[in-house]
Amino acid sequence: MTNIQRNPQSTVALATMQMPGLNGSRWAKLRSMRAVLPFAVIIVLYIVLAAAPALFVGAPSLTSDLSARLLPPGTAHGGAVHLLGTDQLGRDVFNRLIYGTRVSLVIAFSAVVCSGIFGTALGVAAGVLRGATAAIIMRLTDIILSVPFFLLAILTVVALGPSLLNVVLCLTFVRWPRYTRVAYAQTLEAEGKEFVRSAQAIGARGMWIVWRYILPEVLPSVLVVGTLELGTMVIYEASLSFIGLGVQPPTPSWGAMLSDGREYIASAWWLTAFPGLALFLLVLSVNMLGDFVRDRLDPTERGRLQ
Amino acid sequence: MTFFRNGTFRYVVGRLGQALLQLLGVVTIVFIILRLTGDPAQLLVPQNATADDIVRIRHQLGLDQPIWTQYLQYLGGIARGDFGFSYVQNRPALDLIGERLPYTVELAIAALLISVLVGIPIGMISAVNRKRFIGRASMVFVLIGQSMPAFWLGLLLILVFGVWLQVLPTSGAGSILAMILPAVTLASLSFATVARITRSSFLEQLNAEYVRTARSHGAGTGRVLFGHVLRNAAIPIVTLIGLEIASLLGGAVITETIFAWPGIGQLTVQSIDARDFPVVQAIVLFVAVVYIAANFVTDMLYSVIDPRVRLIAVEG
Amino acid sequence: MNAQAPRSAARRRFLRSLPAAAIAAATALILSGCTFGAPASNAGGASSTPATGATSIAIDISNYPSTLDPGLQYDSSTYSVYRNIYDQLLRRDPKTQQPTAWIATKWSNPTPTTWDFTIRSGVTFSDGSPLTAEDVAFSISRIIDPKFSSPQFANFSAISAATASSPTELTITTAAPSPTLLSYLTTLSIVPKAYVEKVGNAGLNTNPIGSGPYEVASATSGSQITLKANPGFWGTKPSIPEVVFRAVPDASSRVADLQSGQAQLALDLTSDQATQLKSASGVQVLSAPTERVAYLALNVLGDTPTKNEDIRKAIALGIDYDSIIKNLLGGYAKPVGTVLTPLSLGYPDKLAANKYDPAAAKKLVQESGIANPTLVFPSSPSYNPQLIQAIQSDLQKIGITVTIKNTDQATYLKSVQSPSHDWGSIRFGLWSCSCLDADGVLLPLFKTGSIWASYSNPDFDAAVTSARKSLDATERKKDYATAIGILNKDVAGIGLYQVSAVYGASSKLTWKPDAVQSLYVDQMKLGK
Repeated sequence: MTNIQRNPQSTVALATMQMPGLNGSRWAKLRSMRAVLPFAVIIVLYIVLAAAPALFVGAPSLTSDLSARLLPPGTAHGGAVHLLGTDQLGRDVFNRLIYGTRVSLVIAFSAVVCSGIFGTALGVAAGVLRGATAAIIMRLTDIILSVPFFLLAILTVVALGPSLLNVVLCLTFVRWPRYTRVAYAQTLEAEGKEFVRSAQAIGARGMWIVWRYILPEVLPSVLVVGTLELGTMVIYEASLSFIGLGVQPPTPSWGAMLSDGREYIASAWWLTAFPGLALFLLVLSVNMLGDFVRDRLDPTERGRLQ
Repeated sequence: MTFFRNGTFRYVVGRLGQALLQLLGVVTIVFIILRLTGDPAQLLVPQNATADDIVRIRHQLGLDQPIWTQYLQYLGGIARGDFGFSYVQNRPALDLIGERLPYTVELAIAALLISVLVGIPIGMISAVNRKRFIGRASMVFVLIGQSMPAFWLGLLLILVFGVWLQVLPTSGAGSILAMILPAVTLASLSFATVARITRSSFLEQLNAEYVRTARSHGAGTGRVLFGHVLRNAAIPIVTLIGLEIASLLGGAVITETIFAWPGIGQLTVQSIDARDFPVVQAIVLFVAVVYIAANFVTDMLYSVIDPRVRLIAVEG
Repeated sequence: MNAQAPRSAARRRFLRSLPAAAIAAATALILSGCTFGAPASNAGGASSTPATGATSIAIDISNYPSTLDPGLQYDSSTYSVYRNIYDQLLRRDPKTQQPTAWIATKWSNPTPTTWDFTIRSGVTFSDGSPLTAEDVAFSISRIIDPKFSSPQFANFSAISAATASSPTELTITTAAPSPTLLSYLTTLSIVPKAYVEKVGNAGLNTNPIGSGPYEVASATSGSQITLKANPGFWGTKPSIPEVVFRAVPDASSRVADLQSGQAQLALDLTSDQATQLKSASGVQVLSAPTERVAYLALNVLGDTPTKNEDIRKAIALGIDYDSIIKNLLGGYAKPVGTVLTPLSLGYPDKLAANKYDPAAAKKLVQESGIANPTLVFPSSPSYNPQLIQAIQSDLQKIGITVTIKNTDQATYLKSVQSPSHDWGSIRFGLWSCSCLDADGVLLPLFKTGSIWASYSNPDFDAAVTSARKSLDATERKKDYATAIGILNKDVAGIGLYQVSAVYGASSKLTWKPDAVQSLYVDQMKLGK
């Protein structure tokens, strides 16, 4: 049944798990795989761009050229054609767009991995150790979840100082509880299962049990949360950059480009259109792929949904 | 009823205690992080102040005291009902919040209405027409809404409706018209969630035994749909709406910044920038109270309706 | 599951979930006082889109005034509003910019440290009570009281006492001769003593009572404040009966408001927006050079490459001032030769503007003996990032690597004002004292011991201190010429340009902005 736990963070997780399209037949699987393929290609493209931007656009356009400010897309200047125009400092927008991929992907991915590992570890620990430890961990989880995310993020970045590392730390700090809850619930469920009890009965040691039996039960749900979080982290990194708390200039970041372009929205629409489009495509592809992965990972949901 | 007997009463008190502890935890964490962000003294003095002026202001605001002293003073103040004075405006922080909060509530409710009015029909359509084009198309629409960064959408809306067409105001809170663009921007993420939940709960209901039974008895799709499905599907939707309110209240920061909507989101950013500790603390406290209270009361009602919940909680 | 079960199960689940929604909403509403209907109606009858025409003017400012108590704040958004509600002791003559009579009709300076003012009679506050010298004395005394924590304290700290000897006679005593007193008195707003003592400072903020050309009609906190003409105003009635100040933090929204006719005047526009407006119809760009100077301050005392004199000289020669003024600022700036504008007393008459010579700069960098000099350039969102990056780029071209360190304003101030001088190498600033005098610029920025100075030269200190003590303009100019000579030789600070304030306005507005960015609506005329 549609089980909305009174746990808003997993609400979205659970809701989106019930995506359509699967009814167990191979044909359906193939069809949906084809639907998802373009998005997978897009993500691969983004990763390639982030890894080796120089292959596509050469050196980063970091220095300003005040004589070439705010040129519309397609203008030729100084021997080169500016495909997507120039920004308020005369830098090539296309170039900065490509280099900005790095920031978005690195931060979002690192944030998900770090918060995922940390949160899952705490959740499993709470499930295994129980008692006071569990109580403290779960209380901490509740507390952090009660503070409006963005406010906490802003505060943390301001306290640490804006930089790539600190943004990752901040996002990790704010998001780990989401994994903890799911990991805790799954750990409890796993521990109740027969094979775990039998293992305990024959004297298997704690850590081995965790590794061998519990983690495999926990991981699918955690991965589900992780795929959801990826798109969210991309947007939140951009949001922080948008209000000036992301990586510092002249390193390009899409959120910062959007914020800079805000002032020129009437006169130089290309400054906001393209970074926003880049963000949107990335998040869309991540979400599409994420849905696909979720369907694969959650056999129980599939069974229920017929 | 057994309501006031030992078990349930202990449960209620226990949960109340937990809720208060949670509130205390929230307030403490924010208090500490705030003090890690530096201090406002330098922001509050004019540019031609001397080093002595800065020291004096810091002392006046009590910021040169050890952090634990400040913390205890703060807690003591709350116990007395004193939530602090804004450093910037020298007025009670609660007054400031009271002035700005109605705007955010307004915006949140408008955004919620839009999410619901748009999300539910779309969710229904895509559930009922799962295999057909219109069903797929509506899910694509939902996916787009979910993936669209709110600030980009806001900027695009400003571009189209404010700059090109010039039909809607793009900043401030002067009229009902001014609320449209920010509300749509704010609604973009939650409408997707509402649509999805509607869709999945509808799908589930449509597949449920009793629906098939009703259908096999000859009941038309329409009657089945609106008779049973809607009612049953309403439950998770309503739950979600309740939770979305809390998150909308706490958020809306970006939207209010883009559209200069004078709500508490904007106040939050401004106050953090200005290191106006009392105001930030008051905002956090307020939002946390709303959120925790909502959860707490729901827990209570759950335990009344379903005693198993209470027992499990007491044991575990 | 049989057909019956869902119903009761459904009902249970429905009941369970309703509370969450209801409680969340109800709690929020109750705690907020259920006033969510109020804001829209709070606009006090005046619509958000005032009718364009002579009866009302809408002015877009960057921030809502943080207070309406003139003693407690004087940033431009705030004073733009309250200086129309309150009168100042003196005003500046629109042509000469010199302090002229306003509430004070004449004054004399019997001894170097006493000033006698004659206060205009027949002036009343908007609550009907008469304005006397007592009110002026009170307004000054509260500002110089350290407990009041007025941001204007430093501007008036030279005053040791202000006493009213009669309802129309005021005597101000200064601790030492104060050459800038009259200048600062143009920023002294007069509050009613009896009223403030009755309602307290908080009361003054929520219900301001002034004697100026306008009074408060209604206010929607955070959003807009409406003023209407004060019927009891002693001077010429303003030609525009109603003013709506709208807080619009986003500059492009201010421009959009102008273009759509929702506002007739917009403050704090960038040069790019001015260029955009020039080609639009129905709007005009108003601009005037101000006494605000954009400068680079160099860290001479800290452990950083700018300790080296050659590096500092190279920086001064390595910035393309004209390109910045022309390309980045659209011509809305003028070159200067030091950290001061020609509008301020003390700017040497024939001072040449800073030179741009990248070849000489490169040579100096090589001669400095520092291989690969790297500078740290702290900044915050308060400063134009384009300018910061343009400077970085210019210095890159002469062989100096610059690392920009962006933080928010509070962190920036803390680091830059730290007495350990470890904040970096160069920092950008915009400085204005609204006093049109070098005393308000050079001293706070470069005198030893000031929170802004990472520089110390006793000769410079002696020159600016001596200039402060004298009331003789010629003597003072000589002192400042000396001081500026020292400053420029040491290259402790580089004047980048003189700022021109840029306003966007409806083409039907007639108004001449002044050098201190005052915003007196009674000086404006708006056609229908």
